[in-house]
Parts: sequence; C-alpha cells; structure tokens
Amino acid sequence: MQEFLQLVVSGIATGGIFASLALALVLIYNAMGLVNFAQGEMAMLATFVAYSLVNRGMSFWIAFPVTLVLAFGGGIVIQRVVIKPAERAPVLTLVIITLGLATLVNGLAGFIWGYVPRSFPSPFSPDSVDLAGVFISYRDLGVIAVSGLVLLCVYLLLQHTTVGLTLRAAAHHPEASRLLGVQVSWMLALGWGLASAVGAVSGMMVAPILLLEPNMMQTIIIYAFAAAVLGGIESPLGAVVGGLIVGVTVNLAGSYIPGVGGDLQLAVGLGIIVAVLILRPNGLFGRAAVRRV
Amino acid sequence: MNRIRTAPPRYWLVALTLVFFLGFPTVISSFLASEWTQALILAIAIMGLNILVGYSGQLSLGHGAFMALGAYVSAILAHRYKMDYLVTVPIAAVFTGGVGFLFGIPALRLSPLYLALATFALAVVTPSLIKRPAGLTGGVQGILVLQPDPPDFAREAFAFVTGTAMTSDQWIYYITLLLAVVLFWLAWNLVRHRPGRAMRAIRDGEVAAAASGVNVAGYKTLAFGISAFYGGTAGSLFALSTGFISPDTFPVSLSIQLLVGAVVGGLASIPGPLLGAIFAFFLPIGSNQWVPSQTWLPDQITSTVKNAGPAVSYGVVLILIMMFAPNGIVGLLRSGYVILNRRLRGASDPKTGQMPPDPQTV
Amino acid sequence: MSAILELENVHAGYGPTSVLHGVSLSVPEGGVVSLLGANGAGKTTTLRAITGGVRWSGDIRFAGRSLRRMSTEEIVRGGIAHVPEGRGICTELTVDENLRLGSHLRRDGAEVRKDYDRVFEYFPVLKERRRLSASTLSGGEQQMLALARALLMRPRLMLLDEPSLGLAPIVVRSIFEIVRSINLTSKVAVLLVEQNARIALDMSSTAYVLEVGRVAVQGAGAELQGNESVRRSYLGY
Repeated sequence: MQEFLQLVVSGIATGGIFASLALALVLIYNAMGLVNFAQGEMAMLATFVAYSLVNRGMSFWIAFPVTLVLAFGGGIVIQRVVIKPAERAPVLTLVIITLGLATLVNGLAGFIWGYVPRSFPSPFSPDSVDLAGVFISYRDLGVIAVSGLVLLCVYLLLQHTTVGLTLRAAAHHPEASRLLGVQVSWMLALGWGLASAVGAVSGMMVAPILLLEPNMMQTIIIYAFAAAVLGGIESPLGAVVGGLIVGVTVNLAGSYIPGVGGDLQLAVGLGIIVAVLILRPNGLFGRAAVRRV
Repeated sequence: MNRIRTAPPRYWLVALTLVFFLGFPTVISSFLASEWTQALILAIAIMGLNILVGYSGQLSLGHGAFMALGAYVSAILAHRYKMDYLVTVPIAAVFTGGVGFLFGIPALRLSPLYLALATFALAVVTPSLIKRPAGLTGGVQGILVLQPDPPDFAREAFAFVTGTAMTSDQWIYYITLLLAVVLFWLAWNLVRHRPGRAMRAIRDGEVAAAASGVNVAGYKTLAFGISAFYGGTAGSLFALSTGFISPDTFPVSLSIQLLVGAVVGGLASIPGPLLGAIFAFFLPIGSNQWVPSQTWLPDQITSTVKNAGPAVSYGVVLILIMMFAPNGIVGLLRSGYVILNRRLRGASDPKTGQMPPDPQTV
Repeated sequence: MSAILELENVHAGYGPTSVLHGVSLSVPEGGVVSLLGANGAGKTTTLRAITGGVRWSGDIRFAGRSLRRMSTEEIVRGGIAHVPEGRGICTELTVDENLRLGSHLRRDGAEVRKDYDRVFEYFPVLKERRRLSASTLSGGEQQMLALARALLMRPRLMLLDEPSLGLAPIVVRSIFEIVRSINLTSKVAVLLVEQNARIALDMSSTAYVLEVGRVAVQGAGAELQGNESVRRSYLGY
C-alpha cells in the first residue's frame, strides 16, 4: 500500500509535467485547430537555454523566469515567421510545417549543444519527507508545486483578465472578435508565446529527471499527446486532468504490469492515445465535434 | 485538345529514366550501387505514402513502422526458418499490407489531425516495440541478413556488358529496380483508374464523394492496405540491402524522411516519389560529404553537422516547401514546363494559357 | 447636417466575382439610414466593405477620414460598431464575457459602468443571464446581446445587418424600438440593412434600394413608402 501511494505521488509529479506540455498543445489547438508537433522540441530548446544560464552561474530560480520570458518571445517569433505566412493553408499543411519545425529545432539544438546527454541540476533537495509512512521526495513535491502554480497562473490569465478574454474570443470566433476591435492575428501570436512558455516549464521540470539532450522530449510529447487527447484536445482543464491520469497510469503500469518496464511504458502512452481516439474521440471534457460539410 | 498540348512528354521521359537506372550500376562502383538501391527502396516506400497522403488524403507520420514490419517479417523468415530471402519479400509485402488494411479500419474513425497524431506516436514507439520480443526479433542485437549471390545468368550478362564480376550489391540493385518499376507501374494504373478517382474524390471531400456513390470506408482502408504493402516491400528490401536490421534502423526520423521525400517530390504525382526519394536520401549524405571537405570550417562544426545536418536541412526543406511550393519538385517542373511551353508556342490567349496543369493526368 | 459616413463609387467583391458596382451613399451624423434590396443585391457586402471585411475601390470616409488601407480592428476602434449577419455572438463565452468584449478597449471606467446600467435597463433579460453561456440564449436574446455589446463600444455609427432575421414579429418590434431609442438618446448614427422594408422605412430618415450592386432608388423613408411603383418593384409589399 505504501509503495502504491508512493508511486501515485511520483505519478502525479510526472503527470504535472505532462499536463504542462499538454496544456501548451491545447492552447495552440484552441487558437488555430492545429496540433503543434514542435511543442516538445520548443520546450527542449528552452530547457537548453535555461541550462546555459545556470551554467553561467545564474541561480535556477532566476534562470527559470528568464527562460519563460525568452520562450514566450521565441513562441511569438516562431508564429510570426513560420506559421503566419501559412495561416490560410489546409491544416495538414500546417501540421507538416510544425513537424518540419520540430525537426529543425531538434537539429539546431544538436548543432549548438551536441548529442551528449547532460545532467540538469534539480533546484530541489534530493531528500524525502515521511508522511504517515509514505516517503515522498522533495523533488516530486517541488515539481507538483511548480506545475500546479503555472497551471493556476494560466487559468487565472485566461479566465480572469481582459487579455485572456480576448485571447479566447480570438481563438474561437476570429471574425466576430475582429469586429469588436480584437487584434486577432496578434492574439494568435500571443497564444503561441504562452504555449511556448508553458511548455518550457515541462522541459525544465523533466530535465533533472531524464538527462538533457536534443531528443529528451520525444517521449514526453507522446505522453502529452495522450494527456491532451484523453482530456479532450480543446479543454485546458482536460489537459491537466489527462496529464495527471496519464502520469499515474504510466507509473503504476510500469511497476505492476509484468513486462511493462522501461521503454515499454511509452507503449502505454500509445495505447491510451489509440484507445481514447477509438472509443471516445472527444475525450473526457471535450465537446462532440460538429462535422462541417 | 488543350490537355494533350500541355501534357508533359511522358513516354520518352519514362524510357530515358529506365535506361538510366538500368545502365547506371555498370559505370559506378558497387558501393554507390548499394546507395542507389536504398534510394530506390525509399522511393517505393514513399510511393506507398504518396498513395495514402497524396491520393486518399490521410496523413500518416508513422510509415517507418510499416517498413519495420516488412523488414522484420522477411528477416525472421529468412534467418530462423531458412527461407530463400527473395521468397520472403512478397510474403512480407502481403503480410504488411494486411496489417495496414486492418490498421485502416480504426483509422476511419479518426479525424485527419488525430490520425497524424496517432501514427506519429506509433513511429516514436516502434523501436521499443521491436526490442521487446527479443527471442523473435533479436532485441537490440538485431538480425543479420545474408545477402544472396547473383545467379549465373545475371552474372554472365553483367560480365558481358562491363567485363567485371557482379557483386551481391549490384544484384540486389537490379532486384530492387525491377520491383520499383513494377510497383510504380501498378501505382500509375491504380491512380488513373476507378480506385484512384474514388480516392481523390474522398480526399477532396468525403461527404460529396459518399453522396456520389463512392464507398468511402472501403477505399480509405484499401488505400491504407496498399500503402502498407508498398511500405512492407520497401522494408523487406531494405533489410536485404543493408544486411542487418535492429530497432534503431527504424527511428522516428525514418518516418520523417519518408514524409520529406513525399512532400518534396510532390504529392499526388507518380514521378514525385522517385525525385523525392533521391532528394531525401542524398541530401544528408551529400551534406555529410561536403561539409568535412570544407577545410576552413572548424573541426567541431564539421562533427556536429554530421549529426545535426540532416535534421536541420529536412526541417528547413519541409517548412519552405510547404510554404512556397506545396506541389513539390514535380509541381515546380510542371508549372515551369507550362510557362516555357506558352512562351515557345506564343500562346496569346490568356484564357486558355491560364489552364492549370492537371495534377491527375501524370 | 454633415455626414458621418460617406461611400463614393465603391466597387467591391470576393476574389474574381465583383458584387458592388459603384455604390455611393451617405449617413448623416446621428441619422438612421436603411439599405434595402433583394437577396444578393450587395447589402451585406456594403457593410463588410465599410469595416474592411472585403477588398474595395472607390472611397469610404468615416468622420471625414478615409478608411482606405485600414484594418478591421483600426476601423472598429475608430468608432464603428458592426453587428454582422448572424449576430457574431461568441457562443463559447458567457453573456457577461460577450459584453466585456464590447467594452474591453474603453478606459473610461465610470462611463462604462453607466453604459452597463443603461444596457441592462434596455435588456433586463441579459442581466438575469449574465453568468450563463451565450449559447443558451434564444435568437431574440442573442440579438439583444449583440446590440448591447455594440452599444458598450460607445460607437458613433452602428451597422446593423438584418437584426430581424429569424425573430418573431413581436420581438422584432421591440428590438427596433430599442434601436430607435438608442439612436435618439445617444445620437448614434445607424446604417440598417433589412429585408423587412416596412419596419425599416418607418424609422429611417433616408433609404437606399440596392439592385445587383448599384443604388437603384434613393429618397426619404416616407417618400419611398408612399411611392407605389418603388414599393411594388423593389420592396415587395
């Protein structure tokens, strides 16, 4: 039982990481009906930036917000340079562009930092706290706290600020928003910036657990896909809940299902994606898609 | 009339291409021949992807998985059950095609975006899936594939032309070429007859296609099956030509390489996959050979370019092509041809001169 | 009275098909002008040209300034509220959020609050349903929400595209009464596109009848109403 609870808690911690990246995917999906295949690679690049800052002697807690700001700006630049020119293209064209972006960013990171895995310092102590017989590491708690805080900030921004309101309006009703004076095109760029920053959080949280290298996010993005799909790809709340469910499920499956250890855990992610898409394509929180003729 | 006048001169082009590919290995080294074998194999796989994406409008980002399946079916049959490798190629192709057909059934329920997502996940997971049944697949150690010696008739013919002995690589090249020609011919027949028309109708509008009596579900799964058949053939040949396969032979980047080839060559065209494959195969090789030869570059840069170069160039090419030339090389050539033709013939009537090249005739 | 909006020989269309072939009209400051005509005559396109939704040539001037090369956002921020065909309600958002979108560019907090009070006076039902999703509103209520939102932008000119579409006659009547009262109390000029010519002419000082992209007839509201042949051939009653 204690082992089970410990697994659940560390599952929630990894779930928080998946949730951040899944939320980034949902933000962009809502803004333009597009799955951003480059989301994980963008997060990886941001993490390398944070790594370089920390390596130059900056404290993690200063490097963290600095990286978020840089990721935010980077997201806006990417939207302006790569996505906006193809805004009117069919969605599959855009998907291929984001895939090209993923490949490009991956290669760039490899070009700058090489493919040798590096250890990324964790800002949290490696000790554990004993809660009624269940040992919970400070690292897990720290990851849960940081992810939770970021998700809360995004929620408050979207639901309780004017910028958030115009962001949502521009995403769902671009034509009507334009007539109300909302600068839709910039709102989409803002959405990319926000998604990029939120995704960067997941990268910086996962890097101390895995090792930092250009392919680090390749598995995380699959779990994030699973989380986003499970939650219903247009629901921010769904992304969070989906992330937690996927995190805990994968953790438990790795320990309790014989043969599912190590890299086969990824197959659990694939299994979740396929099962949800076939059995309940709208996920837990999504609305039924209207099929337009 | 207009159609005939603006259609590219196809037959002599096909003949020229055939002569080129038949004669090429007689003048290049055995090693280069094996590189061109792999480019042709890539072309077969890309043709499969092209049928799925270009003609039926279903985006698969995980076609490397079908290649992996075909490769392992052949390798396991040849290695464990001592079958003649050439016999295993059609078995692998049909088996993979069957799996693809079955895969196409749940894929029917997915929106195009979700299909892309699920197939991408499949591509990422493929290496781990291969590793697990280690008894069957050899795990991370992989499987060695024995390359067959050329039979006497081929050896004699080759010696008659070139005066040198034919190597296994050259023999495999000709096998691949034969299959590539047959499969391209089949694809050409497919797309210009009823199934091709049905698939294009589905791609351009599922509801309208269904309303005009096209069996949407049937043709979509059929496209998946055919596409996987091509992928399986390519995978099987790939194992033969490299002589060794392991889980790392089939990374995500293989699926991306296939997509790059399909997009660069030109979706929904028959010559597209061949041009795209040559591009996607030789781009990283070319950059890896060219960059180290530039002595002015620091060593550190040349060594990272070796690793990062393909990814960067694929990424840039994908983005630029999708933005500026969504019909790929074939699209560019075709519009170039139309412009040239108009110039040469002095087509003065802008109304007929503006007739766009029909992507469905080639 | 000076004109707040002037269109001069405006040509516009979608891609290769042109819809407007030289439309000229003007809306006086604080006046109500209606734009009538059959389906496909170019009424909606005229409104869309004004707020930059279609490409046009000729000239459109608002408050003396040309709107040439201005984006929709800039034009709207300049003081034109456009309630489009289908009302443009953000059904993903709540009623309150829709209203906030109307006032989100304004910095005069006290005035905004006053306007909210006024809007809720006109449309008490919106106050009751503030927290509900806008998708739960009936057609008439959505039209009210669209009008309320436009009002909160504090425009100098409102463009209304078929506010009566799909509504019960009694609802139409009350909505038009409110439009008239908005016009009278806040001096907002109104350019009204309507199929329902009788009710539109009742409240308009001037009316233009479009026919295949051209102004076929123009005149005072009452004058057109009194003209038997115009009524027969263009207004259909």
